[in-house]
Amino acid sequence: MTHSKLNTVEAISIILSIFVAHTLVSLPRNLIISTKSATIINLIYVGFIAIVLTILIVKLFKNFSSCDIIDVSEYLGGKVFKQIIGIIFIFYFTFNASILLRNFCEYLKIVYYPMTSIVFILLLFIIAVCVANKGEFETISKVNLIVLPFVLITVLFIFFANTGHLSLENIYPILGDGFFNTFISGLGNLGAFGGIAIIYFLPPYLNNPEKFKKISLVSIGISIIYLILCIATILFMFSSIMQVDEIMPLYSAARYIEFGSFFQRLESIFILIWILEIVCYLSISVRISMTTLKKIANLSTSKPLILNFGLLIFTIALLPKNTSISIFLENTIYKYLVIGIVLILSITILLLANLKKKRLGGTLENEKIL
Amino acid sequence: MKKFFKRLLIFVLIIVIIIAFSSSYSALNIDNLATVVALGIDTSDTNTLRLSFQFTLPSSVSDSGSSEQSPSIIYTVDASSISSGINLMNTYIGKELNLSHCKVIAFSEELASRGISNEIYTLINDAQIRPSTNLVITKTTAKLYIENSKPTLENLLPKYYEVFVSSSKSTGFTSNATIGHFFNSMTCNACDSYAILGGISSENSESSTDINSQKDSSGKSNESPLANHSNSENTGLAVFKSDKLVGELNSIETLAFLLTDNKVNGFLVSVPDPEESNRYIDIYLTPITKTSIDVKIVSGTPYISLKYNLSGRIYSMKSNSKYLNPKTIDKISASCSSYLQSTLSSYLYKISKDLKSDINGFGKLAKSNFLTNNDFENYNWSEKFKDSFFDISVNSSVRSGFLLTET
Repeated sequence: MTHSKLNTVEAISIILSIFVAHTLVSLPRNLIISTKSATIINLIYVGFIAIVLTILIVKLFKNFSSCDIIDVSEYLGGKVFKQIIGIIFIFYFTFNASILLRNFCEYLKIVYYPMTSIVFILLLFIIAVCVANKGEFETISKVNLIVLPFVLITVLFIFFANTGHLSLENIYPILGDGFFNTFISGLGNLGAFGGIAIIYFLPPYLNNPEKFKKISLVSIGISIIYLILCIATILFMFSSIMQVDEIMPLYSAARYIEFGSFFQRLESIFILIWILEIVCYLSISVRISMTTLKKIANLSTSKPLILNFGLLIFTIALLPKNTSISIFLENTIYKYLVIGIVLILSITILLLANLKKKRLGGTLENEKIL
Repeated sequence: MKKFFKRLLIFVLIIVIIIAFSSSYSALNIDNLATVVALGIDTSDTNTLRLSFQFTLPSSVSDSGSSEQSPSIIYTVDASSISSGINLMNTYIGKELNLSHCKVIAFSEELASRGISNEIYTLINDAQIRPSTNLVITKTTAKLYIENSKPTLENLLPKYYEVFVSSSKSTGFTSNATIGHFFNSMTCNACDSYAILGGISSENSESSTDINSQKDSSGKSNESPLANHSNSENTGLAVFKSDKLVGELNSIETLAFLLTDNKVNGFLVSVPDPEESNRYIDIYLTPITKTSIDVKIVSGTPYISLKYNLSGRIYSMKSNSKYLNPKTIDKISASCSSYLQSTLSSYLYKISKDLKSDINGFGKLAKSNFLTNNDFENYNWSEKFKDSFFDISVNSSVRSGFLLTET
């Protein structure tokens, strides 16, 4: 494999960018809708589970160093199984990227480009993603490393600049809709940890594969803190968030920031930074999809696929007839895709592959595949 | 050849994107926009709403930024809804109304009493309206209010609208009330909303005849004691239950609201002089700590304990003042505490018993007594709030005068 290599910080920022991109659109509100005032407690709870799952994933990958989930699938079920899993992950990345892009562009249109067709707003992003993917993965990760800290700063800034508007009492009733809703059906909020998907593809890209555990745990840890901060901002600011669906809750929170009459409308700067983050997220998703397709189709290079994936994302993004469908796809389907593909399917593959390896021991077949 | 096609593609894409985005650029171009600085909404005899849009002329501002007092233009239209009124106005003035610089939205008292949830939802749904836009309920018609909103100490009308509530921090007689906050409170099941109470001060203002220093702080909009002055004024608060106006707070009640909500930095009160009957002492008080509020449910009834901690200095002076005498100072402190206790008590029982509106959001604190949302909803806070019992404790420690301590 000839992958450009990522250092520890770049790898962490790539995992984080998947979490961050979804929080910029409607993820925080979805979490609050499902667990109401208990969302912060629920996030601590599902965050703990996410950490346990990450430790499990890292442990399961220990026997497959420098392999991604596609290689592990091949080891487990042969070429056909590898292709099936590859197609599932390509679908996962392109679908999520397309729907997120569609919703983000819908909101951009409402706020800044009322007279421009959404096709052209989408096109701008697709062009940026195609150009970004002309370079190496390292290029995308380095740009992402520059953009991501700014995004994190904007979210921190939104929280601290709005302290005057925060009502900490909104955390009550402490159990939200009840124990079952918070801790049992609230497990659905594990869907917020879609960034784990990148962990399955990271090992071949790492400069120091021995730091895989550290990278995975640190990124999940930061993601949990980041998610709690986002949720706290929105939950404490808007009593109405459970009754009224506002587009991009973080954007709505940013609109409240004013420092006297001189510093106003800072949300415009935030939107600019968030656009760059969305481009980074899309570029990472396209790159992972391209590499996966290259692997399952035994292609020598993935570069000619750039335009195909660009057009695929563009087309899927245009499929929803209206905003209600695209929001449904992002709010409901995304969550189940994460739980189904990222958490259940992938961990099962890893578990079975480990069992197979244990059963076969150091047989010739095993050595040959790996 | 390949290079040529690549360049051609890039060129075509640039042209397409320029054309596609030019329509949004044109729509938001300042030449095509009419910037609204205030919006008045009244009831109408001929239609559902009467909308008054106040504009300023951009040309009145000179290049250097300074200006003559900017003239304002007010257009009024009767329409079935806000959006329809904006549409009609767009046609009439030949430009597109832009509300992104609208600083004040005024509703007439009459309309607010009927309920303004539809209008509030519509305005919040508009991407141009800022959540920080001030919301005013006018004792007169909204049109008359914005017509009389003339900045006397400011040149620019938008600037005036931006700073007109800034005195709330130092007087406590008015409050900053924005549409964003109003919307949040309106949709909240544990609190109620409020807005600035606006009116017109004139020589014909409603006023009572009794004269004492307490009267200074018992006025509200339309009851201004200002002489030879005909202008809009913003004193007091309009109290809502859900989306309906249910009552008003005068200056001192507004101060009690702000003090409870920790939104006032300092204020002046006139308290009875313990040494001399029928005389009042002006004391400038500042909260030392945030008001501590504890809400408990005792036998199914809200029991709300409030602790206020204030420190003060005597403002008004007379001859033979003995403000260095500890006994005198203690007596003044006790008088001050007792006065504030009675003021706060009358305010709190007014909002709970008379108005039944939880504008301070005690319900949010009450939620800590419930484990689940279902428990809280079953308790029905908005109904139970009227039965609340308030345990008020005021600790005001008056130190001395400012520059003079004894005369």
